[in-house]
Amino acid sequence: MALEFKINGKSEAIEVDPETPLLWVLRDHLGYTGTKFGCGIGQCGACTVHLDGQATRSCQISAADAAGQPIRTIEGLSPDSSHPLQKAWIEMNVPQCGYCQAGMIMAAAAMLETVHNPTDEDIDGLIDNICRCGTYTRIRAAIHKAAAEARKA
Amino acid sequence: MTKPVMLDRRSFLVTTGTVAGGFALSLTPALAQQRAGAIAELNPWVVITPDNVVTIRVATPEIGNGAMTQAALAIAEELECDWSTIRTEQASTTRDYLSYGGYSPIHPAAAFFGGRSTMGQRTKAMQQVGASARERLKAAAALRWNVAASDIVAEKSTLTHSASGRKLTYGDVAADAGKIKLAAEPAIRTPDQWKRLGKTSPSKLTIPQIVNGSGIYGVDVRVPDMVYAALRQSPVHGGKLKRYDESKIKGMPGVLAVVTVDPDEPRGVAMMSNAPYGYAMTQPRAAVAVIAEHYWQAHKALEALPIEWDDGPGAAWPTTQKIQDAAIAALDSDDNARSEMIVGDVSGIATAKKRVEQTYLTPYCDQAPLEPLNGTALVTRDRVELWHGPQNTQQAFWVASDESGMVPERVFVHQTLVGGGFGRRLESDDVRMVVAVAKRFPGRPVHVIWSREEMMRQGKYRPVVAAKLTASLDEKTGLPTAFVAKQASRGHYPRFADTAYFMGPIPNVRIDARELPFHVEPGPYRGPGYNSYAFMQETFIDECAQAAGVDPLDYRLRLFRDFPNPGWVKSLEDVAKQANWGKKLPKGRAQGLAISAWGLNGQKTLGTVVAVIAEVSVTKAGELTVHKLDASFDCGRVMNRDEVANLIQGGLIFGLNMALNEEITVADSRIVEGNFDTYPMLRLRDAPEIAVHFGGLSGLDRYSEIGEPPVGTAGPAVGNAIFRATGKRLRRQPFLKQDLSWV
Repeated sequence: MALEFKINGKSEAIEVDPETPLLWVLRDHLGYTGTKFGCGIGQCGACTVHLDGQATRSCQISAADAAGQPIRTIEGLSPDSSHPLQKAWIEMNVPQCGYCQAGMIMAAAAMLETVHNPTDEDIDGLIDNICRCGTYTRIRAAIHKAAAEARKA
Repeated sequence: MTKPVMLDRRSFLVTTGTVAGGFALSLTPALAQQRAGAIAELNPWVVITPDNVVTIRVATPEIGNGAMTQAALAIAEELECDWSTIRTEQASTTRDYLSYGGYSPIHPAAAFFGGRSTMGQRTKAMQQVGASARERLKAAAALRWNVAASDIVAEKSTLTHSASGRKLTYGDVAADAGKIKLAAEPAIRTPDQWKRLGKTSPSKLTIPQIVNGSGIYGVDVRVPDMVYAALRQSPVHGGKLKRYDESKIKGMPGVLAVVTVDPDEPRGVAMMSNAPYGYAMTQPRAAVAVIAEHYWQAHKALEALPIEWDDGPGAAWPTTQKIQDAAIAALDSDDNARSEMIVGDVSGIATAKKRVEQTYLTPYCDQAPLEPLNGTALVTRDRVELWHGPQNTQQAFWVASDESGMVPERVFVHQTLVGGGFGRRLESDDVRMVVAVAKRFPGRPVHVIWSREEMMRQGKYRPVVAAKLTASLDEKTGLPTAFVAKQASRGHYPRFADTAYFMGPIPNVRIDARELPFHVEPGPYRGPGYNSYAFMQETFIDECAQAAGVDPLDYRLRLFRDFPNPGWVKSLEDVAKQANWGKKLPKGRAQGLAISAWGLNGQKTLGTVVAVIAEVSVTKAGELTVHKLDASFDCGRVMNRDEVANLIQGGLIFGLNMALNEEITVADSRIVEGNFDTYPMLRLRDAPEIAVHFGGLSGLDRYSEIGEPPVGTAGPAVGNAIFRATGKRLRRQPFLKQDLSWV
């Protein structure tokens, strides 16, 4: 059936099985491949997007439930990689393989929308994405740096 | 004719030409020039176009270790180009093949298309490319101005005539530079002359595309006319397909075909292969794949497809318990034991007064890179295209040729970013499966995706290893006088011998191995063999120190005191100082120490040694917290300090997760765990503070590997700390499945 998705401020209507997870709608039907497939059961967080402003694991929500709500993917986080998290990630050489990092950045971006000066406990409590390369030390440091940058702006 | 440059006892010709209106330069093996049929075209390593862009073709795929950025840095070291003008592209394995090693001149048959850019002579080769290009650009400007090239300075992509102040960009003279003939190739800078290597750590060139989602991993490949496939392999490794009922999924939306993969069908190309790791470990498992217009359609249809399997010989190994019991029982017999190392005479061990003997066990573990296995292949009558993220592009190239039966010159591999490998993407058994499916649906690109469950249950695991270690201790010093290791596993890469302990510190050594016929397939898992051995060895040494009544640090320092590579003692001393070894801690909280090395290959001054001190606390109820890991290391010298620190931080987390959490189990001969709910991973909240220290570096002339070494050391350091906190000695992994409570 035809469903309409509002992605990064743009509306796109497609024919899709309403049971299809949003993850596969984004990746396979609409070409937003920055949102990654990691586990398919909501464990790893590589598929994190913002659904109506909330960090959401897109493998766990159906096309029917996501349709019509504002969705933001990594491609729409900033027009020119100027989000403080994106800048901090580059400056601090955070990623190794990088596969988890779009989801990690989207989870952190949602947190910074409401928690402007996160403590380590905030980060531990709000971000539980998996990084198999083990870049957690740098992820934590980069979130603090980006948060400080965002507070200045 | 200019003299060829010499690298690694082989000689190379610097070849130049014009590509895209700019200057292109390559390094070609001198022998290849004389080979009949070698393509005459240039295989550029670097192209400089009139817009001043420097394009570097890199053979080493970027798997997260910074190999691509490091290659660019080695060229920029000499080229003196503006760092922001650099673009990287993956070198073509097809062109490499046709030019007899045009992109793999240093290790033609080995892994030039994998690993790290600092390996062997690679840095020197890339420096030569940069230097030879720079001198041609200078010569072209000199001709333009009619001055001596020696009066021209090359810096930040600009050529300046010092006396007159005239300036040209590299782009301005790029077209001319291709025609320049030099009387001799310039010498490359020696390490003491380096300006960038060893001194700067640019952020990886791949990161900008990672943080905005534009980077293309294998699973992100989208090519015209592409279809998707979902895959199911025999749930018991080595089993066979009996039948499936396609009628049950007839009419399901999007479904195009059901295809099968038969491990027994004849395959291959009648020619010598240069596959760096051969084909033996790439043999396919029996499989069924559903092909559909979209992945979710294929996935749903596969779930609905009734399939029957014949479990095959794996039925003999129904449970983890049976496998582990067999491995431990095998240690009691020396029948079929294969000798791996004999030093001196260990016969005194049986009658020694002071003796330590313990048995250790490590479980199956899955590499679990976060990007599930996948690949896209188009097979036609005269051509195979593969879009894929292997750890070694050449291996993928040859396996694709072998599986499709296509001659290598008609196989084209498009290397993508790689979402983690850790060994799982090394052998290219995934490539074989992708091509095996795609060749049954020729003419359209088939994008095969393993579900996480399929990937985890169809692994090539860190094998179950059992080992019995015995040592006799000197009655006065308490140090080991003889050491015997008996090990049993189905697996490759036994690495017990790869340690400094057996190159002098322990004078009498015997190591042997027993190969067991388990059906569960082993494979390379970050630090193969070493990841089990380091745990066993370093736990055992701690037990010897305890039996001798000697402090664990002091015990190891005494053992390595006279070892010719000072990195071992330096790393121990540095980490002890940094972590304040021996500091007073409350009951239930303690430090533990371990030291191990990867990549010695039997040589005293090779490889990378890592010493780790872990600080942990354990509640009486048995709840473990790892507070901090301090690491000091010696890889000789460091070429990129920040990237080395990054990889050690990550390697320690990887090793910690392996030791605490990871275990793949078997029930009904099938793998039980399928996803991260049952195969847990550390998260931000679990990650300890990590401090990487550089005070252990010996400064010896080598740049050894960094990815694997920390993986072995983290676990035993934590295990030894748990012992000191609780009195409980952990001789098996994973730790968190064991009772750590104490009174």
